[in-house]
Amino acid sequence: MGSKPDVTFRPTDKKDLTLFAEWLLQPGVLVGFPMMDRREVEDAVRLWTHYIDKGLSITALYKKKPVGAANLYLHEVEKMAHQSLFVVILDEKYRGKGIGTLLLKEIVKLGLKRGLEILHLEVYDKNPAVRLYKRLGFKEYGRHARYLKDAEGNYYDKILMQMEIQ
Amino acid sequence: MGIPDENEYDVRYTTPKDHPYLQKWMEMEENRLWYPVSSDKDVENMSKNWVGFYKYGASLTATYKGEVAGIATLFLMPYRKVIHHCLLYFIVNPEMTGQGVGTSIVKNITHLGKSYFRFEWINAEVWEGCPALPILEKLGYVEVTKQEKYIKKKDGTYLARHVMQVNLLEDSDGK
Repeated sequence: MGSKPDVTFRPTDKKDLTLFAEWLLQPGVLVGFPMMDRREVEDAVRLWTHYIDKGLSITALYKKKPVGAANLYLHEVEKMAHQSLFVVILDEKYRGKGIGTLLLKEIVKLGLKRGLEILHLEVYDKNPAVRLYKRLGFKEYGRHARYLKDAEGNYYDKILMQMEIQ
Repeated sequence: MGIPDENEYDVRYTTPKDHPYLQKWMEMEENRLWYPVSSDKDVENMSKNWVGFYKYGASLTATYKGEVAGIATLFLMPYRKVIHHCLLYFIVNPEMTGQGVGTSIVKNITHLGKSYFRFEWINAEVWEGCPALPILEKLGYVEVTKQEKYIKKKDGTYLARHVMQVNLLEDSDGK
């Protein structure tokens, strides 16, 4: 990939939510997510507002333009507040430039700042991001077979990965 | 041990009137440990959400001598790609544990999940050492994942999360 991409980060703004929905609705992207259509995507994206308000969401800017985001679903329940699920989404047009890797590193930094010990993620079968997660130290701890079932009746396994960050 | 007087035992659909029982049981320290709650506010939030599934006919309440003895609920999934399965939680009146109420309500709710909702499988999440684990195993639930260090106790020690699953499809390989 050569030189470092021109990427900066800032806390996510609620105005970015429209972009998140657009990225998720790009052709082929929803194969790897539980949502099926625009209505479900908009519903899921709306839930991120709560995390944006709490400073748990980061937007990646490439040449000052929002191209991706990551969100920590930090628990408010005390006994689970040491670990967090997270999600990363990237505008399809900006994949393969190393932005996903930088975004992941940034969310790990945010997790550390918030006192997290463990980050975990859910990714669906055949998603090429699995390789990236492995490279960054995430280990598969389980798999839910047939977790997603699309409109044609095809099943996709859910792969569960986690990493201790401190 | 079984139910002392079977004639006094019944299983019916949950109603909002069952909520105070659920909240009271979850607030007890011995129960609070086994559910995803820490504070009283967490208990209030989760118990309200839990009982709310009565609206979909996805929750059953066991009664003994007219008093609420246990509640088992199928937490339905919000998106269409995942509506072929659900998440089970159950709780037994602490004064009636060890008498077969847990086994009875899990058996009934699993049957409801299979026959009415047509679920392909049901997941139940329990923490390491939870007394619900043997009940689930007895009724055919098997561990599909174990997530280490999911719960951090007040003393700084950790508990794993077990996801237990029962396959409700007819053929043996579940496909």
